[in-house]
Amino acid sequence: MDVLDLARTQFAVTGSLHFLFVVLTLGLAPLVAIMHTRYALTGRPLHERRTRFWGQIYVINYALGIFTGLVMEFQFGLSWSGLSHYAGDVFGAPLAIETLGAFFLESTFLGLWIFGWHRLPKWLHVACIWLVTLTAYASALWIMAANSFLQNPVGAVERGGRLVLTDFGALLTNPALAMSLPHVIGAALWAGGFVMMGASAYHLFRRTADREFFTGSLRFGVIVASVGSLVTVGFGYAQFGMLGQYQPGKFSAEPLAGMGLGLMILIGQTLQLLLAFVLLPAVYWLPRWRWAQPLLMAMTPLPFLAAIFGWLAREVGRQPWLINKRLTVADAMSPGLTPGMVTASLIGFAGVLGLLAVVDYLLIARAVRRGPSSVALGAPGPADPAERAPALSL
Amino acid sequence: MDILWLGVLALLLIGYFALEGFDIGLGLLLPVLGRTSRDRDRIVAAMAPFVLANEVWLVAVAGVLFGAFPAAEGEALFGLYPLVVTLLLSWIVRDAGLWFRRRLDGSAWRAAWDWAIFAGSAGLALSWGMALAAIAGGLSGPAVGLPGLGAGLLVAAAFAFHGWTFASWRLPDGPTGSRRTGRALLVSACVAAAPAAAVAAATAPWLLERAAPAGTLGVLSVIILPFTPLMVGAQVWVWRAFGPRSAADRMPSFF
Repeated sequence: MDVLDLARTQFAVTGSLHFLFVVLTLGLAPLVAIMHTRYALTGRPLHERRTRFWGQIYVINYALGIFTGLVMEFQFGLSWSGLSHYAGDVFGAPLAIETLGAFFLESTFLGLWIFGWHRLPKWLHVACIWLVTLTAYASALWIMAANSFLQNPVGAVERGGRLVLTDFGALLTNPALAMSLPHVIGAALWAGGFVMMGASAYHLFRRTADREFFTGSLRFGVIVASVGSLVTVGFGYAQFGMLGQYQPGKFSAEPLAGMGLGLMILIGQTLQLLLAFVLLPAVYWLPRWRWAQPLLMAMTPLPFLAAIFGWLAREVGRQPWLINKRLTVADAMSPGLTPGMVTASLIGFAGVLGLLAVVDYLLIARAVRRGPSSVALGAPGPADPAERAPALSL
Repeated sequence: MDILWLGVLALLLIGYFALEGFDIGLGLLLPVLGRTSRDRDRIVAAMAPFVLANEVWLVAVAGVLFGAFPAAEGEALFGLYPLVVTLLLSWIVRDAGLWFRRRLDGSAWRAAWDWAIFAGSAGLALSWGMALAAIAGGLSGPAVGLPGLGAGLLVAAAFAFHGWTFASWRLPDGPTGSRRTGRALLVSACVAAAPAAAVAAATAPWLLERAAPAGTLGVLSVIILPFTPLMVGAQVWVWRAFGPRSAADRMPSFF
């Protein structure tokens, strides 16, 4: 592999990992916020346990979203300084707004939510998770706006060999953004709904003690996934009309992009048929259908697989351009980058992030298996077991 | 307008050192102050509610660099390639230690991730010292060298002092065996932020030459400035909610 292939591989590995984790972050955040609101409204312990159990899974998943996101942000300067040199005056704006106006707030409020159990006033604590959700979706908007600029560079003209921003509003009304943002958000809700459905099916199948807890969660997951699937598929096809204007022949020129598109549609359509004609109509009885539960568990990873295929289709189909028809990937690479530098950083990032991703998924699986009775997030009582013992003996 | 964004960039960088400095410092001191697992739990629990609100300042630094000083972003990050890579890997390892240490029972699991917190914090402090030395030297020499290592040790010492002061403030008579006032914490924050402030001042002319055009900076100002009260408010709220009177020891910590 030459240095360009290595740098592209580094971006693809970290980008795919990032997408796998943030798609679940986006999907679960509003669901946890809804559960927390129900708890605040009713005060029922069932809703508190649901908020803490699904919230803990959300939070464990969140860790890898941060780790991979850090590498993504700094990688532009490391390997692709040609991009900031040529288009930084335009492309940098949505990224700067994302970090300051969205992620800065998201991270701060997430800290307040995680560590604010039993400390913050009830409704302010609920407000934290809604602000986390809101800022996470604002992040998605700005990142997709930046990505859509690469697909279809609007709102900028070239002056003196560099792009200059002429119309910021055009970045937000970009045809490459209008239909793809709801497509991605739908896919995130779909993934979040499926994780909830699959984990609940596991507990119902094992006949654990929390029958009421997981009956409700399974139904909630199926309903959210059904809504997500409608949005995803609808806005997926809606992209084709506009795509013909700015990237005609996207999927015929690059076989890998065409394959990604085909497999994504295969997974998406099959699951949508299943959701619309079986799972959703039977949602009331589904928690009692023991034979169906292993199937529901097995289906859980499929939205994630479809998301990766969709990402391949969108990104590979733009080759050899980094900014469509303006800047090639080769020209965007940092001048002076050597194979030795990228090989070393690629091994470091892929090794550390790959290992931590496996650990993270194992920890999520363990948190699901142990169930709602042993959740660390928001656990009440003193930290020190020595202090807890006398309390228990009373 | 470019002066305004230079100020924002400098404030974010200095704020990162003043805030994240004590997290990194406590990570460095973890093997010293936390000889027993209970003490390590207390130290991590003391800094845990602040970490997410502190480390995000550096994410904001990189964002502002890209948005408002795009030509500097590519030059600086590429010029510091090996250091940026070690900085990111150290950051990730430190954060992984925090997020994962309590996710399984068993002392070996927790002790292993506590070492990850120490190693990551040490890597962060050394990478920062070397990076600041290389930036001060105009990115001309090799990124890794003996003067850089000296600067790394200096930054590590400043962070450790700040971390020790924070622990004495949040956990009076706790693992450090002493107590410090909020005023002392302010002083140690200034010590931790001094290297960043010096380098920010030295590089200001170089950065201004690389500012984005007025049109881009205008858009950034119009969109970001309305959010600043919320950003400041959220940061202040963290300190009000998790200050020393919040009985840091009474609740089990998530980290």
